[in-house]
Amino acid sequence: MTHMHIPDFVLPVWLWVSGFVVMAAALGFSLLRLRSMDKKKKIPLLGAISAAMIVVMSLEIFPIVYHINLSVVAGILLGPALGFVAAFIVNLMLALLGHGGVSVIGLNTILLGLEAVLGHTFFSLFRKVLPVFWRAAAATVLTFVSTTMLLIGIVAASNVDPLRFLHADEHRLVLQEGPVLISKFAILVLSFGVVGWIIEAAITGAVVKFISQVKPDLLSHKLHDGPDQGRERGKTGD
Amino acid sequence: MLAAALAATNPYSLALGYLVLLLTAAAARLPWLRMMGLSLYAAVFTVLYIVSLRGGMLAHAVLIVKAITPALAVLMLIVSTPYPRIFSLLSAVLPEILAAGLFMTYRTLFILLDMMDNFVAAIRLRGGFSPGSLYKNSANISKGIGMLLVRAVERSSRLYAVMVVRGYSGSMAGQPPVKLHREDWLPLGTGMVILTLVILWR
Repeated sequence: MTHMHIPDFVLPVWLWVSGFVVMAAALGFSLLRLRSMDKKKKIPLLGAISAAMIVVMSLEIFPIVYHINLSVVAGILLGPALGFVAAFIVNLMLALLGHGGVSVIGLNTILLGLEAVLGHTFFSLFRKVLPVFWRAAAATVLTFVSTTMLLIGIVAASNVDPLRFLHADEHRLVLQEGPVLISKFAILVLSFGVVGWIIEAAITGAVVKFISQVKPDLLSHKLHDGPDQGRERGKTGD
Repeated sequence: MLAAALAATNPYSLALGYLVLLLTAAAARLPWLRMMGLSLYAAVFTVLYIVSLRGGMLAHAVLIVKAITPALAVLMLIVSTPYPRIFSLLSAVLPEILAAGLFMTYRTLFILLDMMDNFVAAIRLRGGFSPGSLYKNSANISKGIGMLLVRAVERSSRLYAVMVVRGYSGSMAGQPPVKLHREDWLPLGTGMVILTLVILWR
């Protein structure tokens, strides 16, 4: 699960404000890590990958109408710090395009950014263990499992009570009191999520493998590189 | 409008605000029908969310109106305001790399959309999409996405070269924030009226 489609101002104020605070801290840390980078080269790359993420999110896989997300690929190509920045840009652009709430930009950026960071981390961890396709696929599955659990945790922490939105005035409204049924939400998210993880893993693996064959230097982000960088480039196969 | 959506505790006042926004969009000759359709997209996800909630119809109605009203307000902003002005305003509060990244993303977005449209059309013409074959569709789309990424990166490299020739030094020269004009008070005033209505009608 990549993007919270929870609408505006449904979550408690403390939760989405905390999301903005954590997002700002993470962005600040990322920008600190990036202060020595060549801005003139990296900013066009950042824009290109962010734009590609938005474009690809509009694609659908027939026949199940699944929407793809490139957060793990962005993390692999850009690195964790720039990948987190790309996640923020993508969420802000989507909110400005009317897709997704403005108040949940912070939480959505944390989720998407975490996918970029974890995707990069797992991809690097499996460097000497798996071929490119399976590295990317495994990284995707592990990343999405983590962020889906985080999403369920966020919704559980919200503990939204519909009564808080309305005056339960006996003359006007009669409402049933009820917190969010987390178990129902978790079942929904996980059951659809498993299918999504598999599809996303396959597509991410195929995309990264394609890039490794056509333009392997794109995968040569400095955090990937070790002493055997030359042998790693252009490595293909399942 | 965002503040009004935050403060609303019943659907009537915010629904009235939504209606006022639509009327304002129609009066300003904005594509209000299309904007309304796009804003209702937020209602789809709201419905998925409220499936997990217990509560009456009014509680659910509040959540739906809280979702679609900010969406319509944001759409009105996007449709009526040039993007350089929006990003210039954002650049006043965001670090330079984020503002520059936003500009570059917006600029590249439509180029890539065209590229993807052409790719999808080419694949369809060559029989690359089958109604029932998930594997075939996924494989072809994966290659298309990979190609899109490679071309996006190559394009960004060329763009960088062009920008350097034109004096790009790492920052975007945006318009400075503009002062409020008389015409700006109408949408501001409308928003304040709706916010007041929402607060009084709690």
